[in-house]
Amino acid sequence: MGSMIAARDSSSRRKNYTQIILYGILICFLLFIPLFFQSPYVLHLFILTLVYIIAAASMRFIMTSGQIPLAHAAFLGLGAYVSAVLSKHVGLSPWLSLFIAAFVAMGVGIFISFPFARLKAFYYAMVSLFFGVGLLQAIESLGKLTGGLAGITAIPTLFNTASKVPYYYCFLALTLVSLVILYRFEVSRIGWNLKAIDQSYLVSSSVGISEVKYRVLAVAIGCFFVGLAGGMYANYNVTLSPSSFDSSVTLWMIIYVTIGGMNNFSGPIIGTAVLFLIPQYFSGLKQYAPFISAAILFLVIFMFRNGLVSIPGLLMAFYKRKKSTSKSR
Amino acid sequence: MILEINGLTKNFGGLTAVSGIDIKVNDGEVLGLIGPNGAGKSTFFNLITGVIPPTKGKIIFKGKDITGKRPHEIAELGIGRTFQLNPLFPNFTVLQNVISSFQIRPCSNWLDTFFNTPVYRKNEAYILEQSLEILNLVGLYKVKDELAKNQPHGYQKMLGVARALAIKPSLLLLDEPIAGMNPDEIDNTIEAIKRTSQRGVTIILVEHNMKILEICNRVVVINFGQKIVEGSPQEIKENPEVIRAYLGSGHDTKH
Repeated sequence: MGSMIAARDSSSRRKNYTQIILYGILICFLLFIPLFFQSPYVLHLFILTLVYIIAAASMRFIMTSGQIPLAHAAFLGLGAYVSAVLSKHVGLSPWLSLFIAAFVAMGVGIFISFPFARLKAFYYAMVSLFFGVGLLQAIESLGKLTGGLAGITAIPTLFNTASKVPYYYCFLALTLVSLVILYRFEVSRIGWNLKAIDQSYLVSSSVGISEVKYRVLAVAIGCFFVGLAGGMYANYNVTLSPSSFDSSVTLWMIIYVTIGGMNNFSGPIIGTAVLFLIPQYFSGLKQYAPFISAAILFLVIFMFRNGLVSIPGLLMAFYKRKKSTSKSR
Repeated sequence: MILEINGLTKNFGGLTAVSGIDIKVNDGEVLGLIGPNGAGKSTFFNLITGVIPPTKGKIIFKGKDITGKRPHEIAELGIGRTFQLNPLFPNFTVLQNVISSFQIRPCSNWLDTFFNTPVYRKNEAYILEQSLEILNLVGLYKVKDELAKNQPHGYQKMLGVARALAIKPSLLLLDEPIAGMNPDEIDNTIEAIKRTSQRGVTIILVEHNMKILEICNRVVVINFGQKIVEGSPQEIKENPEVIRAYLGSGHDTKH
């Protein structure tokens, strides 16, 4: 919302420049990662992180309207399986099937969200949880196409090499584009209306915001990107099994979003990076990953209510306060 | 005539909250709706704005039947309202509250919104200007960048009015606009309501406080879901039935 931005203090201009510089440094760092980390395993982790970042960010987009989409991992699975089946059995190019998967996930999302759009937090959570379980059951039962419980193997890949470097750059580009699009939606009137619906349905309907229209729109956008992430995962990972998309994956995604910071766009990005990448990277810690996550979760709940993203701001405020009190003495 | 209500009835299970009310509202007037607690005033507002569907009866706004429409459709037609409680978006600033309420906007579709085109930016600049003007009108300009939830009760109520004005209503429903305000705030609010009325907005207001009757052209008294009296503010003040409804029949009203 342009005027929202214009309405903010003009003093934020300088902060804007430092932000641009920080993002520039971050993107340069991301571009050089394949040079720093030669190990295919580490690159594999980075690639999976990128996929989960899209999934978590799209989940947060739906959550801004006050709904908790517990079927989100199932939608990731839907995208993955659609892309896998289309590229393996139908023979489409993986590049095409990837985007078809995104549109299929979006279509299914729109289809289920019409009846469920007026449900709020917990009711929507229950309904979507069951829908997600049902979706996975359906995938399992289509044994001929999907391989059932054993999963599907030998999915055509996006690139014809054993190296992971092209995947990394390709997924980095797709992730950045997805995040930019999601960000544009978030700061536009659509995003503001979703937040308004979340704060008060009564008030937002009294000024003419259609709850159904905007919630369906949110689910459509969120499911499109999670479907895309699923397709990327399928055509990168070569094998799929239903257990990679069950409801515990959704819970992990919710944890990424809430620990990173629900109220901030970069929340899910930081949450995924901290909670997925770091425990996996220090492979000695891998078995302790749930404990580390629990510790971070407690820390966030008790000290940083707005998630890990709020830490720099809090430190800044603390530093400033300290400086001003020492001056007054 | 801007609003015509025929035989409006609402039953909640065995309880009849509103029973067969007929009201006609003329263009540009300020209509007061008074009655004791539980008389059905707020239910009446919720019926007009589509928050709850009526059991029976018809609501005709500018010659169109709006019975059974969804709240956002009714808002788009130009009926704005405020609420008794919870009247705002708590986590937005005062200004953002008003900007968010500008939903009826010309020449900018979602593609414009997405790509931040000049059309969209021009439109948003217009909305910003209008919002600031509304905040000036209701006297909240000085707190525009503060969070709505941190504002005192009186400001939150006024913000409700500002938000309702943002949809450019031709009919404005105010649910207890001065309840819980201090005398200063009451004067300011009454002033703001007068100014709004002078811009040609028709107003219906629900209130307990008899002070607000001064600005009404006509007053309707409701008790037990039924219309008991209708007339000018002066007539209402002297009507024995109204006095009985407010003070109870056990008292000697002559003293």
